[in-house]
Amino acid sequence: MRKLLFSAVLALMWFTALGAAPAWANASQSDDVLRMWNQLVLKLVRHTPTYSPPVASRSFAYLGVTAFEAVASGSPDMRSLAGQLNGLTPVPQREAGKTYDEAVVLQAAMAFAAQNFFENTGPTGQRALASLEAKLRTEAAAGLPAEVAVRSEDYGHTVAKHILAWSQDDGGAVIENMGFPLQYELTKGAANWVPTSLVAQQQTPLLPNWGKNRTFAMPNGATCDLPPPPAYSEDKASVFYKEALEVFETRQNISPEQRAIARFWSDDPMLSPTPPGHWIAIALQIFERDNVALDKSVDVLARLGIAEADSFIGCWNSKFQYDLLRPVTYIRRTMDPKWESLLNTPPFPEYPSGHSTQSGAAAVVMTQMFGENFAFKDATHERDGIKPRAFPSFWAAAEEAGISRLYGGIHFRAAIERGLEQGRCIGAFTNALRTRR
Amino acid sequence: MRAMSLSLALTALGIAGLVQPVAAENSIAVPSFVEETAGAGIDSVYTGEWEYMVGGGAATFDCNGDGFADMLLAGGTSPAKFYRNTSSKGGALQFEAEASGLELDTVTGVYPLDVDSDGNTDLVLLRVGENVVMRGLGDCRFERANEAWGFDGGDAWSTAFAATWEKGAEWPTLAIGNYINRLEETSPWGSCTDNWLHRPDAAPNKFAPPLALKPSYCALSMLFTDWNKSGTPSLRVSNDREYYEGGQEQLWHVNAGQAPALYTEKEGWKPLRIWGMGIAGYDLDADGYQEYFLTSMADNKLQTLATLPTDGKPAEATFKDVAYAKGVTAHRPYTGGDLRPSTAWHTQFEDVNNDGLVDLFIAKGNVAKMPDFALKDPNNLLLQGADGKFTESGEAAGVASMAISRGGALADFNMDGLLDLVVVNRWEKAQLWRNTSTNAGSWIEVKLQQPGANRDAIGAWLEVKRGEKVLRREIFVGGGCASGQNGWWHFGLGDTAKTEMRVIWPDGTAGDWQSVKSDNFYVLEPGKAAQVFAAK
Repeated sequence: MRKLLFSAVLALMWFTALGAAPAWANASQSDDVLRMWNQLVLKLVRHTPTYSPPVASRSFAYLGVTAFEAVASGSPDMRSLAGQLNGLTPVPQREAGKTYDEAVVLQAAMAFAAQNFFENTGPTGQRALASLEAKLRTEAAAGLPAEVAVRSEDYGHTVAKHILAWSQDDGGAVIENMGFPLQYELTKGAANWVPTSLVAQQQTPLLPNWGKNRTFAMPNGATCDLPPPPAYSEDKASVFYKEALEVFETRQNISPEQRAIARFWSDDPMLSPTPPGHWIAIALQIFERDNVALDKSVDVLARLGIAEADSFIGCWNSKFQYDLLRPVTYIRRTMDPKWESLLNTPPFPEYPSGHSTQSGAAAVVMTQMFGENFAFKDATHERDGIKPRAFPSFWAAAEEAGISRLYGGIHFRAAIERGLEQGRCIGAFTNALRTRR
Repeated sequence: MRAMSLSLALTALGIAGLVQPVAAENSIAVPSFVEETAGAGIDSVYTGEWEYMVGGGAATFDCNGDGFADMLLAGGTSPAKFYRNTSSKGGALQFEAEASGLELDTVTGVYPLDVDSDGNTDLVLLRVGENVVMRGLGDCRFERANEAWGFDGGDAWSTAFAATWEKGAEWPTLAIGNYINRLEETSPWGSCTDNWLHRPDAAPNKFAPPLALKPSYCALSMLFTDWNKSGTPSLRVSNDREYYEGGQEQLWHVNAGQAPALYTEKEGWKPLRIWGMGIAGYDLDADGYQEYFLTSMADNKLQTLATLPTDGKPAEATFKDVAYAKGVTAHRPYTGGDLRPSTAWHTQFEDVNNDGLVDLFIAKGNVAKMPDFALKDPNNLLLQGADGKFTESGEAAGVASMAISRGGALADFNMDGLLDLVVVNRWEKAQLWRNTSTNAGSWIEVKLQQPGANRDAIGAWLEVKRGEKVLRREIFVGGGCASGQNGWWHFGLGDTAKTEMRVIWPDGTAGDWQSVKSDNFYVLEPGKAAQVFAAK
């Protein structure tokens, strides 16, 4: 009771300070807007060729922050991320004393952001973007006074433009040749990464400078650096050899369950919403199952996007620092020249595992938002014919995502275990963000 | 001027790393092509927006018996356009547009075949809407035959086609590939509609109601092909991963009297997921088994059997990709300065310089205005060298068009033994090139005819000797990108003045080896000596 009273007083103080009129609120409509735009974004990530996992994580972060700031700007309880995220200045304030419709604000912000972050999507994506905007714009504005609708839409655009402008100089705004540099000099050395793909474009590594991008919540890409991987050796008694042997033997004796786990977390670009999109999909499923309130939903999506984006920056920083070869290269060199991994080996250095880093960070964030031992079912890939899996906690899911890369034959154990640790470190910076007043 | 050595051509291309390196001693005759679009009277444009982003086919066929290949070009929202070939032997390319009955709109793909085996080529028109089979009446006149032949044209966005005569059948089986549910606006992904198999009906000269080929994954190319030399073609389907969920490339068992069934992992089939757009097949390495080139975006595949069968065991349906090793990834423009990834559509193996080594043509063009892919995307002409590797010659040969290309055909339009080229472009006029090479080798061209059903012997294998080597090609209708051909089958022979050839007819009967002179057109019938066809 005291808490309620305190909240009411705070709200009154907030409105008074802004000189604002209470906003029109249709929570259900805003929920629909948030859900439908995010569902489309997951599709667009899959169907926009530049959207490798790092690029996807960046857009999830900016889209998440856009939605959060759009909602937070109309809420007395929520606190902007401006000043907390690197380089983010406060979004322009709403006009004092004027009425806004929250669904229209959110719809306009999401539409603008999605259209800009996916401006390079193909004709079908463009058609879908236009179609969804037309539908949601009409629905959100239905029955509103015209001036409220126009003002709300303008403000939503203002928020999204502010976030878009912030994004432009982070180092990740321009993706050329789908992220594969036209020129790249490989480091010579037995331990170093060499191309593993027969795809001509993938003879250079994906996004070698991604680790230098501006981070969101953590200071920079090297903040959560890792110790070196086990020293390269072809000695059968070495740690390195033993880790490779584990990958080799796992592939030889893989169980149906291990195979299913590898497939479940494969999250290949162009065939799925990618690893960061997988965690966004998990969040959306929980929102729907538990009727999570809008203020919490936008908080979760912003934090999840931020943690994933920082993860890929931190992980890529380490990958190109250590530049380690993939299991397929080592195993063919030392054990079996015809060896094939179960999953397609990604075209960039091995250490640490990106899925492990970003899943670790996601688990840190989701556990803070929903609690320890929060059980959920994950049906992200059901439409692709992959059966849902159930997890007793977010960490159980993250650890399974990590070990799936060993089952898939694309990572050594050290890259997985330390990747998860790196994710813990990176996620902690996101958890330190304050989103409530 | 255009006929230069490949080493000079590569110097002219001058972009480090964009073409496969070629050994200096590996000299390949670069053909020369001259564009004759305007002079030949070609002005067809493939028009339309979203529902026409794929398709844009060309059909070449002889519909008046003069031996010269006539042509039908899909027009999208514009009517398809028929061109009668009025070229003279060895002369400039000449066509006359004329009313033929084929001038339907919403046509995406065009494939010729003699459905009723009456000696007049018929056509299957793939459309956004109802597909239509057109019966050839002779002298390049056609009429709708859906009702007469019991053909249910359905209502879909049709984008792929292949035909075969199943064992013992008097009537063909048509496979039609369908694309997205075009009514889905906000989320068309995952809405691939069923492909259809139109098999013969129990009643003579009719098709049964179409059988849905489930699952279907937005096919953009189909090919009936005897990949394992079993004597029964399977149906290879290349699917666009942009739109399917849980899909992959497909290979179907299509056995007479049985329901179609997908090849499985137990049979060796491995999942491959690409933006599949076109299929071309040819036995490149003369091992008796075909290689398959699959066009896609940013990367293309050249598949060969992972393991050749031994000891009479059946071949496993496992293919490996050798595109990189053979120099046919064709993943980005080789000229024009646009270094973004390419988008590949129609593809065809033919010998364009008659050196006895089959070359590879690829039509290129952005889907629409996708900024991450090359907007200036030249068509490829990859020449095979003696080492089995291919080198780019599109610019040196004169066919490096930057138009947004889709379908096409390499065909000998002026019957001079050199393959010419037609390409259909989106939003721009189709283009026609005459092969004017003066450095090409010898050749023969062959047309098969058999009595009764399947007059053009679809499913036969034609074998021609070149020294110790046997050039082998499968007679097919399908593959490519929305484009098909019916007519002369061409072989380059290098310096071979006299050769031997034979046919393995669709029923498995092997004809005798026949000695023939190079540089001639031949008509082959079962049990008869090859007849020289003299073009007027």
